[in-house]
Amino acid sequence: MTIFTCLDRFEDMMTCIYDAWASKLGHKNIRLLIEPIGNLELFCEYIHIDADEKKTASVISSIQRKISFEAYQMVYRCAMSQVPEKLDVIYRFLLLGFAYGGKVVQMLQHPAVIAIFELNRKVLNEAHLFREFTRFTSMQDDVLVAHIEPKSDILTFLAPQFEDRMPSENWMIIDDNRKTAVVHPTDCEFYLTSLSEEEFQRLEALEDKSDPFVELWKGFFETIGIKERKNYRCQRNHMPIWYRKHATEFQ
Amino acid sequence: MEILSEGLTLQEKLNILADAAKYDVACTSSGVDRRGQKGSLGNSCAAGICHSFASDGRCISLLKILQSNECVYDCKYCLNRASNDRVRATFTPEEICQLVIEFYRRNYIEGLFLSSGVCKNPTYTMELMYRTVYLLRTQYHFNGYIHIKAIPSAPPELLEQMGYLADRMSINLELPTAEGLKQLAPHKTQAAILRPMGQIQHRIADYRLAIGKDARMERSSGNRYLSDTIFDTSPKRINENHQYPQTRTFQSPSPSGPTPFVPAGQSTQMIIGATGENDYQLLTTSQSLYQQYDLKRVFYSAYVPLNEDSNLPSLDTAPPLLREHRLYQADWLLRYYGFHAEELLSADRPNFNVLLDPKCDWALRHLELFPVEINRADYATLLKVPGIGTKSAMRIVQSRRTGALSFEALKKIGVVLKRAKYFITCQGRMMYHIRINEDFITRQLIGEDYQKSWEIDNPQSYRQLSLFDDNLLQIQPDNADVHKTVFGQI
Repeated sequence: MTIFTCLDRFEDMMTCIYDAWASKLGHKNIRLLIEPIGNLELFCEYIHIDADEKKTASVISSIQRKISFEAYQMVYRCAMSQVPEKLDVIYRFLLLGFAYGGKVVQMLQHPAVIAIFELNRKVLNEAHLFREFTRFTSMQDDVLVAHIEPKSDILTFLAPQFEDRMPSENWMIIDDNRKTAVVHPTDCEFYLTSLSEEEFQRLEALEDKSDPFVELWKGFFETIGIKERKNYRCQRNHMPIWYRKHATEFQ
Repeated sequence: MEILSEGLTLQEKLNILADAAKYDVACTSSGVDRRGQKGSLGNSCAAGICHSFASDGRCISLLKILQSNECVYDCKYCLNRASNDRVRATFTPEEICQLVIEFYRRNYIEGLFLSSGVCKNPTYTMELMYRTVYLLRTQYHFNGYIHIKAIPSAPPELLEQMGYLADRMSINLELPTAEGLKQLAPHKTQAAILRPMGQIQHRIADYRLAIGKDARMERSSGNRYLSDTIFDTSPKRINENHQYPQTRTFQSPSPSGPTPFVPAGQSTQMIIGATGENDYQLLTTSQSLYQQYDLKRVFYSAYVPLNEDSNLPSLDTAPPLLREHRLYQADWLLRYYGFHAEELLSADRPNFNVLLDPKCDWALRHLELFPVEINRADYATLLKVPGIGTKSAMRIVQSRRTGALSFEALKKIGVVLKRAKYFITCQGRMMYHIRINEDFITRQLIGEDYQKSWEIDNPQSYRQLSLFDDNLLQIQPDNADVHKTVFGQI
């Protein structure tokens, strides 16, 4: 068994798929994994792959050309998930995709398709929930800052939605786990950036704790529930506890 | 910041007026897609976005408040009725605008849900609400969702102007029958509620025809594969005497076409359990509202006893939550699954089964239609199977083009096999050896969670004779009972 490994970045993953494919070792004899790898297996050869711009572009364009744009979107979303097997799932799906073409996304009876379908749905659902539960706090100079700690890397899905929602505001969303952020200056396009530890600290120091609307919102949140219908289980069902970490009304 | 006004702080006012608004059910922000614009705040998403969930598990999507909780009416069931001694407060339009904008920027809410008690008279109240919304849209450049609760007997001109600013409007039907309304809400009449509903419906139709759409609201996209939904057989079609929409008086006609009028449609809500209606009456009322007034949604609100009155249930009645749940399930069956109220209930059996959901109940009464072959049945037939919803039915139809589906695949697709397995075959086989027998399947479905799967593999032909009705054992023995058995008292 040969195992191809790469870093958890989209370009690295696409290059890894290219090299695994080009190795001609037989699809049954290879596996693809995301680094870091915890337990090494016996009788396996590990090959580390680094990102390559040309190979990445070639994989992306062949997915879009030979399968479909929808399939590419699924692959991209799946690549943003935090599951370590995601790369192998993508690889198996692409094998099938290059054989069947665009209709592969509907072949849900096939285990390889259902695997990517499930991961894809998971990431989409998480992105949707963070679209709902992300909370901004107002800082000095009317800048809005939100912190989130998602499991999947969903910043690239959130940003366009918030750009449409608040085009004329200064805002940024920070992913605390990955130390990345999207920044949106008023009436401009947003950009993705990574934050150093120092920048991160400085942002935290700037935060304004005296926002009067926080109390107003908490009061509203308490009042709006009907006591006679109290149902915490239903509440947890809709808004699982780990999503509430940065939600204003639960602090 | 200016937070003090008229003795009450903004915080106090917000708490009073949110508390008074919480019994309104609708908090949806769905039905309209609108892109954001540079210079204004907000957009709208047709699927609707919830922003939080309150302690009762209901979603908080909109800032749900009353403009005022002063009320000249004396509806028996209402917290804000004139005869109740309560702290009264009224928001100024600016206060509401400020709250909406600041909450929206922090992503707390998706928009505004504005209702009101009848302060002085319907016209005055509606004017105040109009001023709020007008200010919010024009001066504060708010482009998000606005849901307005119209006040019955407000002048039609005001209602119409409001429609050009709001995304959704609703008028509460309150009670499904005219007699019930007369008894509990003496100041309201059903005619006064239905008239504005008809007016809004006509203006919506005018707008939709003017932009080249069908006069009736869009329904679930899956409905086009169904042949006989409640929306197809609607008795009243409004294609006659529509007119080109009037432009807003405050705005010159825009070159981009007519101003949208209530683009997300209208809704209503009914209280259940306050008067003696049965489920059949409620469901047929909703069905005719969907057909005749083209409503987007009908909401049901389980009656929560707040006031004491000889005409109302006593104060210790629990809200009929299960009944409300069954009504919502049936409501979905009407709008998405092609069912009719008459199929689900009838004058002979006017209430829903407590133990089974309406679709299972229907399927058990129509076992002659089952089992259904998953790999052949059309979309409409698949939808009638308990455990298959619109999403999984669509996925089945799409994926079986490339190959046969197995039970394993169905499970992954999202079919609830726990219920569906009694009603389907895959490639000519059922999942287990199951007898198509009404009593047997009913027992299985009701006791599903408690029984082991081997019972399905080896189905009993008859229920075992038992001295105790063990299906209905709801009260668990407590410590005292254990002591009693030790000392031989039981």
